[in-house]
Amino acid sequence: MKVFRAHILVCGGTGCRASGSEDVHGAVVREIAAKGLSDEVAIVETGCNGFCAAGPIMVIYPEGTFYQYVKSDDVKEIIEEHIIKGRPVQRLMYREPVTEKAIPHMLDIPFFGKQQLIALKNRGLIDAEKIDEYIARDGYLGAAKALTEMTQDEVIEEVKKSGLRGRGGGGFPTGMKWQFAKKSQSDIKFILCNADEGDPGAFMDRSVLEADPHAVLEGMIIGGYAIGANKGYIYCRAEYPLAIKRLDIAIRQAKEYGLLGENILGSNYSLDIEVYQGAGAFVCGEETALMASIEGKRGMPRPRPPFPASQGLWKKPSVLNNVETFANIPQIVLKGGAWYSSIGTERSKGTKVFALTGAVNNVGLVEVPMGTPIGDIIFDIGGGIPGGKQYKAAQLGGPSGGCIPASALNTLTDYEEIIKLGAIMGSGGLIVMDEDTCMVDTARFFMEFCQEESCGKCTPCREGTKRMLEVLHRICHGEGKDGDIELLEELAATIKDSALCGLGQTAPNPVLSTIRYFRDEYEAHIYDKKCPAAVCSSLFKSPCQSACPIEMDVPAYIALIRAGRLEDAYRVMLRTNPFPGVCGRVCPQFCASKCRRQQLDEPMAIAWLKRYIADNGRKPVIEAVPVTRKEKIAVIGAGPAGLTAAQDLAKRGYKVTVFEELPHAGGMMRYAIPEYRLPRNIIEEEVKDIEALGVEIRTNTRVGKDITFDKLRKDYDVVILAVGAHKSWTLDIEGEDLQGVWGATEFLREVNLGKDVKIGSKVAIVGGGNSAIDAARTAVRLGAGDVTILYRRERKDMPAWEHEIVAAEHEGVKIEYLVAPVKLVGEKGKLTGVVCQKMKLGEFDRSGRRKPVPIPGSEYTISIDTIIPAISQSSDTTFIPDGSDVKKDKWGGIEKVAKSKNRTLAKGVYIIGDAATGPATVVEAIAMGHDVAKDVDASIRAWNNEPAYREPEADKIDIPFEVNEELVVTPKEFMPEKEIAARVANFAEVELGYTKEKAYKEACRCLRCDAEL
Amino acid sequence: MAKLTINDLKKIKEKVEKEDQFRAGTKRVKLTVHMGTCGIASGAKGILDTFMNEISEANVEDVLITTSGCIGICSREPLATVEEQGKEAIVYEYLTENKARQIFKRHVLAGEIQTEFVLARGKEQEGGK
Repeated sequence: MKVFRAHILVCGGTGCRASGSEDVHGAVVREIAAKGLSDEVAIVETGCNGFCAAGPIMVIYPEGTFYQYVKSDDVKEIIEEHIIKGRPVQRLMYREPVTEKAIPHMLDIPFFGKQQLIALKNRGLIDAEKIDEYIARDGYLGAAKALTEMTQDEVIEEVKKSGLRGRGGGGFPTGMKWQFAKKSQSDIKFILCNADEGDPGAFMDRSVLEADPHAVLEGMIIGGYAIGANKGYIYCRAEYPLAIKRLDIAIRQAKEYGLLGENILGSNYSLDIEVYQGAGAFVCGEETALMASIEGKRGMPRPRPPFPASQGLWKKPSVLNNVETFANIPQIVLKGGAWYSSIGTERSKGTKVFALTGAVNNVGLVEVPMGTPIGDIIFDIGGGIPGGKQYKAAQLGGPSGGCIPASALNTLTDYEEIIKLGAIMGSGGLIVMDEDTCMVDTARFFMEFCQEESCGKCTPCREGTKRMLEVLHRICHGEGKDGDIELLEELAATIKDSALCGLGQTAPNPVLSTIRYFRDEYEAHIYDKKCPAAVCSSLFKSPCQSACPIEMDVPAYIALIRAGRLEDAYRVMLRTNPFPGVCGRVCPQFCASKCRRQQLDEPMAIAWLKRYIADNGRKPVIEAVPVTRKEKIAVIGAGPAGLTAAQDLAKRGYKVTVFEELPHAGGMMRYAIPEYRLPRNIIEEEVKDIEALGVEIRTNTRVGKDITFDKLRKDYDVVILAVGAHKSWTLDIEGEDLQGVWGATEFLREVNLGKDVKIGSKVAIVGGGNSAIDAARTAVRLGAGDVTILYRRERKDMPAWEHEIVAAEHEGVKIEYLVAPVKLVGEKGKLTGVVCQKMKLGEFDRSGRRKPVPIPGSEYTISIDTIIPAISQSSDTTFIPDGSDVKKDKWGGIEKVAKSKNRTLAKGVYIIGDAATGPATVVEAIAMGHDVAKDVDASIRAWNNEPAYREPEADKIDIPFEVNEELVVTPKEFMPEKEIAARVANFAEVELGYTKEKAYKEACRCLRCDAEL
Repeated sequence: MAKLTINDLKKIKEKVEKEDQFRAGTKRVKLTVHMGTCGIASGAKGILDTFMNEISEANVEDVLITTSGCIGICSREPLATVEEQGKEAIVYEYLTENKARQIFKRHVLAGEIQTEFVLARGKEQEGGK
């Protein structure tokens, strides 16, 4: 017998074959032959191993090594490493799954645990096509009780007592509706079920009918008995074939058992139910239109009264209830109205089913007690917003409803509470929208839906929705004009007042509701011709460019990297950004948050590409611009805002002088951002280019000390305040006068000034923003042994960038979440500790995040010798003398002219940057610098009655268009970093920059959204 | 079929309980594939077929297979529940045919829960937690 030293077992089971095991087998045969191992190694194709999901599977004996997800490309490595060198290939080896104990119980998962099931009590537990399974879970006992033990009035009384209100959206008390119909005298009455669920995003009825059709039939039997109806219809849209099939089966089985038909359960009551398939018109969800449709007429509403309870289907008394309403009835009869009304709020009883959909992690069907906060449904049950995006709004009630903004997440699910917000409970469609949703576009979508679905019977709805849609279309296409919002409101009011049916009357709701909460977005579309969410594509070339405060032409410079034309790429960047080298390192990348690539894998690494150009491209030579204007401009503060303004004004021929208190230009770029993120020479190079234009920068000159503010006003025609926000907020707790307490800004400034800063050995930082991380990583570099960040919320709420947080953790910084300092303690004037209090997350605040609330009695002390609050900063405006016409507001900031972003109350004095907005980013500061330069120049020209400035034509740079034909999932190129050990001891730059190859690869990921095809 | 009376409802309930082969103990495992529109759209039919094939290939008599509706968490479909006698139900999520094969071979036949595919254990309760 031949003896082999090794056996390679390749699984040939169905599963592994489906995953490509035949290719693997072939590769093994070839590779073994090629290496001349055929006599040593046997290849065996085995039956199924049972690890089908991890297939193709390969097992190598004698070791019994188990490889999973083997591809034919891996075979060479396996043979060379494992068979020849005897080293198993770790990356392909099977790993033990986590233990069974780790499996959560369903009720420990908030999605299930926070639900309360009544209408959905049988979901997932029974086979909808087997009546016996329904009966085994107490099915038809409610009907039996009603028919044999209760009078009609007693049934109605029980339903009234339950407080059940119509779940289709109207919220009319069901018991009352039944009572009216019962009182109507007629030989024939009808019990009708509305399953014409048509609003976008709603699927409650479909799901109930599919999962538990008998519950609806039983509810109809009880309702029919109560009002005295012997015939019932379920009006279900034909688009729900599975629901109809299961209903048909359920009706057939119920008839066989005598649960439908003559003398149900031996009683005197008889009921026949039929499914009527609707053709899918939205208006047929309106009760009178629905009845017209069953009668074989065109589905159009008619005016009420007469109400269906007296004259409904075929002019006979009828009750129409929604699927969910009926599904609640059997439980109410069985367990009693009092039981049902014990759940919920004062005026809204029981539970409500929601179809949770849109930008939410758990899409599905949710049944919660009335009174559950909407935020709990979205964030606890729904699991929040995917991809770390921000919540923007949720549309409740479909095209008849309105939106719930972040500031209203604490609103309870209660008919009246929701109406107060301008929305409606509706049938329960809850569409969650994130920051990437444009609210104008959303309103347009719903209006388009209503317009298409308008039956056309009444003019307000037929014409009014069309006119409103036209206005919305115009706004979305950048053709909106002043007065459009008011026109929409006027049309909406008219339609609400005069449309014939409920659907027409509520059609303007989404528009009104979005105007109410997101008027600024409408205004951005109309006046600035911008879509802040980067959705309305007529308003921008590419989403990244649209999201950038200075509208950098991102796709253009990325395309130029790909083409290898770095000098041109540099010129494209400099058109809008005087600090590309800085932004390539520290920009928060508003652009990347709108990058369409993230829908496939990850957003583009835009800043890193920008840095690559700035570091490697040849910079165009800058020449001085001749001074052609007589007006002199002073800028106070040499930060990104002030320097950008100076650059732009110098280019327009003005003589600009920049006054800077500190020894170097750069502002916060130099004195707040640490050197390991932004090397000083990068700032210096870019500042030099601005000086080269002819801008004079006077450092070590503090206005108010070295030169008075009033003298500056006298000597210069225009003064631009760009002083930044260099004063840290204090914690406002006891003990802040102790030695060892530093403001983050002051701490970072001292370090960046090159002073010999002595830090303690145990340091605490308070805050969760980038300044907190900067202070922490700087403290590590100064030799603090133990650095802890105290943050009062959870990690996902930290405003600091994720990669900065991770870098800090790698460098040994600890972060404690859900804690806040309450007191600083010390000995002999020196800080020795901080008393912290634990926090828990409570209600939602106006920003849509859960508010941290202190847990009483949870105080504990951490011993520290240094604490650095990094919670926010404000401006020092003391250089402006009292009584100046540059007025301050009550918080010490500078007051601005209403609706102006940069004009102070004094003529010729402007304010920009952090001093105007509070702490912001470099790119936002640059944007304000550009804006103020335009405004200053325009004002000067207006004073002199000169014609407006004409921008010189930009030199033409042709942008190549090259994209990969095939889209392959490719994560972004990682940024090489210095080893941790090498970086914590000094301030050398941590991120090393892309190589040419990396930059090229990354550039090739761009989808070129700017292309016009 | 004769028309039911109220007593018959109770009899049916008892009969179902008695004849439910899983509850009665004649079947060792009960497999439920959740087949609402959401499940079917995500491929639940393929999962059901895979389980049926596996049952016939393995030639086992003690596995009961049935279908049911949506359990609510539509974004995790296809879902299936595996119940073994005397043990908590295990709900599997994001199923593929290969995962179904693996679950059948390793869990249903060999009793090893395939943790990496599990959504949760246990069942929902009426009226919540």
